[in-house]
Amino acid sequence: MKRKEGERDVIVETVTRIMIPFIQLFALYVIIHGAGGPGGGFQGGVVFASAFILYVIAFNLAGGRERFPEAANTFFSSMGLYIYAGIGILAIIFSLGAAQYLNYGFIPFTSHFEENRALGMDFVEMGIGITVMAITASIFFDLAQKERNGKEEEGG
Amino acid sequence: MNGLRIFTIILIILLCALFIYVAEDIPVFGDRDAPPIKAVTLFTMEVDQVVSFLDQQIVPEKLSKELVKRGFPPPSRIEKITGIGIEWNASILKEEPHYAKEERYYWIKKEGDKVRVSRYAFVVRWIEKGLEETSVPNMVTYGLADYRGYDTLGETTVIFTAGVSVILLLRRRSRL
Repeated sequence: MKRKEGERDVIVETVTRIMIPFIQLFALYVIIHGAGGPGGGFQGGVVFASAFILYVIAFNLAGGRERFPEAANTFFSSMGLYIYAGIGILAIIFSLGAAQYLNYGFIPFTSHFEENRALGMDFVEMGIGITVMAITASIFFDLAQKERNGKEEEGG
Repeated sequence: MNGLRIFTIILIILLCALFIYVAEDIPVFGDRDAPPIKAVTLFTMEVDQVVSFLDQQIVPEKLSKELVKRGFPPPSRIEKITGIGIEWNASILKEEPHYAKEERYYWIKKEGDKVRVSRYAFVVRWIEKGLEETSVPNMVTYGLADYRGYDTLGETTVIFTAGVSVILLLRRRSRL
């Protein structure tokens, strides 16, 4: 059976609607769990971005852009990197220039040096996850937009 | 719009200053005193005639039995190290090393009548000391985010640059 363009499929939309929260929750789990088991910022960010990609495939591009606007996308893609660099600067600030850049042990999250290193690593993973999520979504949206524009030009 | 431009320029200047500071701060490549490359002390034991076995280049039987008992690969030859400013007296090699430098497992320091046996390898320290230094059980994560933190910052920058390049190439509107 051939479908018309723009026709809605109830099964795909319903399954997507149910799946997306679980995908996002799993992505957050992978990012947070990076210190204790398999996982980390890169993987979690890509899994989170796959939720947006699934939404755009099942619904439409404009709806996806509405839920993740361009301004937020650009903001998040640089914010993760700033979190990473900021954690590194905090180590210099809190040790008054004695520690090296990115030496998480000197940031006083807790009273233990080793626990500080673990927590610093968690925050760094979150920064990586945010950047990777935003950049993957941004590349996908841009490519999809480009393809649609090309089709319109061919048709018109 | 003008205020936003000034804010952006200030941020870029801050980032440049940060990168200059960080480049000054990176440990020297091949630095022997860098935190991850320090030696791990295994044990200290008494051996008869310390000086003679260092000179004759024969591994004492007591030492090699102790190493095998602890589950380490058996040593075969010993090399004396001479030179100014070197911390060690000798190193023991495994039999037929494939990578002679990395498999130079055991390092020996003479302390009076006793010898102190240490392991001096980056991978060994990574595996054996990582959990107690960072209190993170995942070996990959503390390697990625702590020991190789500079490297991961660079990788994230690569991804960011790729995304910005796609934005600049594919978006046809003038604003970002």
